[in-house]
Amino acid sequence: MSEERKKELFEQLKQGVINFDEDLVKEAANAVVAEGFSAVDAVFQGLVPGMEYVGELYEQQEYFVPELLMCADAMYAGLDILRPHMERTDLGVTGVVVMGVVQGDVHDIGKNIVKMMFDVAGFEVHDLGRDVPLEVFVEEQLRTDADLVCLSAMMTTTMVGMKDIIKQIKLKNPNAKVMIGGAPVTEDIAEKFGADGFAEDASNALKDAINMLTTLRKLKDEAESA
Amino acid sequence: MTLTPKERVLKQLAGEEIDRVPCYSGMGNVTVAGLQELGYKFPLVHGDAEMMANLAATSYKMFGYECAVVPFDFCVEAEALGCVMNAYENVEHLLYPTIKEKALHSEEELDSFPIPEDLANAGRIPVVVEAIKRLKKEFGDELPIGTYFLGPFTLGGQIYDLDLLLKYAFKKQKLIYAMLDRLADVLIRVAKIYKEAGADYLTVREMGSGTDLLSPRMWNTLIKPHLIKIISALKEMNFPNNLHICGETNLIVKNMVECGADSISVELKNDMVKTRQEIGPEPLVFGNHDAYKLLVHDSVDDVEKAVIKCLEDGVDAIWPGCDIWPEAKLENVKALVEATKKYGAEKWHRKRK
Repeated sequence: MSEERKKELFEQLKQGVINFDEDLVKEAANAVVAEGFSAVDAVFQGLVPGMEYVGELYEQQEYFVPELLMCADAMYAGLDILRPHMERTDLGVTGVVVMGVVQGDVHDIGKNIVKMMFDVAGFEVHDLGRDVPLEVFVEEQLRTDADLVCLSAMMTTTMVGMKDIIKQIKLKNPNAKVMIGGAPVTEDIAEKFGADGFAEDASNALKDAINMLTTLRKLKDEAESA
Repeated sequence: MTLTPKERVLKQLAGEEIDRVPCYSGMGNVTVAGLQELGYKFPLVHGDAEMMANLAATSYKMFGYECAVVPFDFCVEAEALGCVMNAYENVEHLLYPTIKEKALHSEEELDSFPIPEDLANAGRIPVVVEAIKRLKKEFGDELPIGTYFLGPFTLGGQIYDLDLLLKYAFKKQKLIYAMLDRLADVLIRVAKIYKEAGADYLTVREMGSGTDLLSPRMWNTLIKPHLIKIISALKEMNFPNNLHICGETNLIVKNMVECGADSISVELKNDMVKTRQEIGPEPLVFGNHDAYKLLVHDSVDDVEKAVIKCLEDGVDAIWPGCDIWPEAKLENVKALVEATKKYGAEKWHRKRK
């Protein structure tokens, strides 16, 4: 188990994600498992840096949504192999997230990208899917006692439903945090709707999710070095 | 020069001189106020030509908007091709219909899906046709009657899984190209049906193709050729037209213009000043006020300021960036029209010079 080999495999994972090369990612992930390297490290030093770089490419308008979706496929190809070898406690941080696209909207790409980052981080994700009636968000938050509820809308015409959901969630559980996202959402609207956070597009959602992951990784590193 | 809204809108689209910019739209103008005035429930409006026409007329009758536009949703063409629509009949608050069942389920169908022979009687196309005829009869002398359909790529996302469509747009470009070409042919036939019914102008809403989603390179190779095909056909049938894309469009605005439409329209994410620098003063660009925040939350003063800003930035008609949000305050939409009348000549870049 040489350090060099480990680095090589993690680099393969990273490059595989960036170049949406599912085969390369699968090959490297299988090697990580077979050769007994840490699955958690492979995720956080291989797949995640790959997605971080993809996020940068997206922000620089080098990559667009089709590329992002293909990178996400490559990343999941690796995660599916590595996850069975990860313990949730490996991460040192846990959380429960409820997420979905509000009723009247069937566009779930942004939501899926954010979900992917939560999956990577080892969060317990309750994905309600798309076109989700308002009351289902409220019920699911109560049922799972989720720390965070993420609401997504792609179209101006559906965004407004978010306002009621936030109100009802906050009424029933003042501690739950609510994040809203989607093309028509702005900071101003997030504030008017009473949301705790917002992401106006896939780039921002990805960035926010990555920021959250970076914070998690720091916490994990601190926990390890303590 | 006193022009009727119809003269103003159509003369402008024909490239003729007019007195001031018009205040209208090529997209949906449903308001809760309009629905209440008529006592209509939104889910029922989409399938009833009389209700559709009456509701479309409220934007003119109630706040002086210089058009009447049908339909109100984004499912008409998709339904005609076999999709199933959800109108949310049992939901209390107002929702726009969505597609609950796609027409296409496999890759093999993409370039060979069946197209109804009698398109004029497919899905709700006859409803839209009847609504256009009614509007034409009642308001045809004074008002331009507008209609719209989705562009081929956006329509593709309605009839087939959007994730796969986006990925195939990259991986299987030839297949998607063939699919879009097929859809362009369908849309040209639909345009002909609407034109014969009496529609005065048509907006091609390729709203799912902005650079929030696709790269400019992909836009050029995959989206543009089919828009050119549709717009050339519209010109051939003398159907005044607009090409609309919402979301970010600065990187592709020049290419939008090159599609040859009589006019283009963009939303507020488009930096109009940059757009004018890039495309020059000639092309007609409509936009680009906030269809939601400005009309629902902001004050009448804000509305006036927004109209002035749009004009100073270089638009040629005050259009919203999207469908007007239904909860728009009546006084705000009225203020929008009034501000356009007040400043639509003096602040307009074509009159300033």
